[in-house]
Amino acid sequence: MRIAVTGVGIVTALGIGVECNIASMRSGVSGISPAATILRTSNLLPVGELKLTNDTLHDICGIPRREHLSRTALLGILAVREALTDARVDPTQRVGLVSSTSVGGMDLTEHFYAEYNDNNSAGRLRDVRMHDCAASTDAIARYCGITGYRTTISTACSSAANAIIAGARLLKHNIVDSVVVGGSDALSAFTLNGFKSLMILDEGACRAFDASRGGLNLGEGAGYIVLQRSEDVESCYCHLAGYANRNDAHHQTASSPTGNGAYLAMSEALSRAGITPARVHYVNAHGTGTPNNDASESAALVRLFGGNVPPFSSTKGFTGHTLAAAGGIEAVLSVLSIKHGYIYPNLNFKRPIAEYGLVPEQRFREDITVDCVLTNSFGFGGNCSSLLFIR
Amino acid sequence: MRCYVERVITESDVQRDIKELITDAGMRRRMSRILKVAVSTAIECIGGRENIEQLHAIITATGLGCLADSERFLRNMVVDKEQLLNPTPFIQSTFNTIGGQIALLGHNHCYNVTYVNRGHSFEDAMLDAMISIADGDASRVLVGAFDEETPTQHHILERMGAWRKMRSGEGAVFALLDACQSDRSIAQVTLIEFPQQSLTEEECFKRYATRGDAQLLYNTIYQSGIYPTASARSFAEAVRRVECGIEEVIIYNEFLGATPTILRVECVG
Repeated sequence: MRIAVTGVGIVTALGIGVECNIASMRSGVSGISPAATILRTSNLLPVGELKLTNDTLHDICGIPRREHLSRTALLGILAVREALTDARVDPTQRVGLVSSTSVGGMDLTEHFYAEYNDNNSAGRLRDVRMHDCAASTDAIARYCGITGYRTTISTACSSAANAIIAGARLLKHNIVDSVVVGGSDALSAFTLNGFKSLMILDEGACRAFDASRGGLNLGEGAGYIVLQRSEDVESCYCHLAGYANRNDAHHQTASSPTGNGAYLAMSEALSRAGITPARVHYVNAHGTGTPNNDASESAALVRLFGGNVPPFSSTKGFTGHTLAAAGGIEAVLSVLSIKHGYIYPNLNFKRPIAEYGLVPEQRFREDITVDCVLTNSFGFGGNCSSLLFIR
Repeated sequence: MRCYVERVITESDVQRDIKELITDAGMRRRMSRILKVAVSTAIECIGGRENIEQLHAIITATGLGCLADSERFLRNMVVDKEQLLNPTPFIQSTFNTIGGQIALLGHNHCYNVTYVNRGHSFEDAMLDAMISIADGDASRVLVGAFDEETPTQHHILERMGAWRKMRSGEGAVFALLDACQSDRSIAQVTLIEFPQQSLTEEECFKRYATRGDAQLLYNTIYQSGIYPTASARSFAEAVRRVECGIEEVIIYNEFLGATPTILRVECVG
């Protein structure tokens, strides 16, 4: 059975919807701003922030502000609605949702906790109502009319890729007829300070795969695709032909210098699809901009492709690292790459990492033939997942 | 879909000393209570750290994850005004920390995923395990569920009025599943379902019982203290009953108004 991709939806710091995201990328405009203006934090660090308040997001969604949804849920609702409309899914079918998040409702919980910590009868309870990860999935399902099987996955920065894998398996086992899969994560002071404490945030713009890279920029957003059985649809963007979830088993937060997990995930995704490395036209890399990730991923790319690494880039210079949404956002970009022949530029690259000599794509290319795209998502806990889309 | 159960262990069954399970003293010191409890339960379930490498899939489930570490980082952030924070509680607050730690302890590169779906987390993990087995992707699968209770969480839920009619709880349960029946099999899981609406006890028997002596565990999550993955405890109880000679146990749970879940556990052979 083949799995068809029939719809896409995306929200990033570049804006809401496929059109404005692609327009920004085509003109080389990054969504990274010098500091957060919506998020409450004293840190002056660059972030990929969607410059709309939660109140405005409620208005755009047509949801009363008194519903007080978490930002993760609001971003998710916007992207899922776009994906469902795009796919023209028959609502009488069993429509499922596999959504991922790493922060859940933390953007509200941290407001609550700041007051609660001083006085435990203080803090508005409506700020913790959506704390758990499933609350965002529930809200997305409720406001997008999804009533089939629903679940939530959280494997740090590989989360959305694993949600996409889970959705494909639900289709195969006839648990759903179509399934919306991907992830959503809002910026929160919790994650911004968490990554700061790990000293892996760049104080300037992130420079993925560059010799001088100094860390990542956090971002927020949501990315979802709709999967259906190929025999049930007349047309589609492309197919999800391969996938793999493997573990690096090296360190709780750092990637192995040999890129074991990444190599295993990429090679299994290819072998599951019966595709040789030479047939891959573009790799949408995880490429966070941290010294550790990009070295490890480069090692894995060289191991897999030898001297013939295909055109590749990290799109995180545009969006920031959106954590549990990254795999969904980058799946949307990968799908559009096949549909329209796009290859996205890797911003802020100057000099290759000496050890590997890999040079990413630096121009927005379009109207070339892209038949096969590999996309990577790696996370804390050693989680490494790869997806392979083919025409 | 079907799978065989080799062992089910709850946190209170752990016999081995934590020092034997996690030999690195520094690592033990950094680990939070739920991390220690869940990782120990997992290792006890598979019969020792050396057996981690034999697993083909590590699938974990949690409603709220490592709450104490999440709160620790949040408190430090508020009190220390976002300055000079210790990263350890942030790292350990990640929902897949326990699944990742198990893989790391056994250098196991296999499939590793974490479900965080409130009262359905454990059942979603079981469904994933059964799909992995049915697809031939895995034959030995470790499924685990855990949630910890913290004073803050208890207090916030008290303010919400949760404990007027319920008791709170916490716990860890791990199950070792296999694709094939062997002399180590103690039970089999023959059904997992997510009905769209509530069912009565009578309807559960009528729809799901296949044997005359079938027993039903109906909403037992409310008996020993409620928490999102409490249904894993119902599963452990069902397997225990099958081991004691009951041929079939059906588990029905409806977590705080969510759609129900059904698991059916049967004797082997």
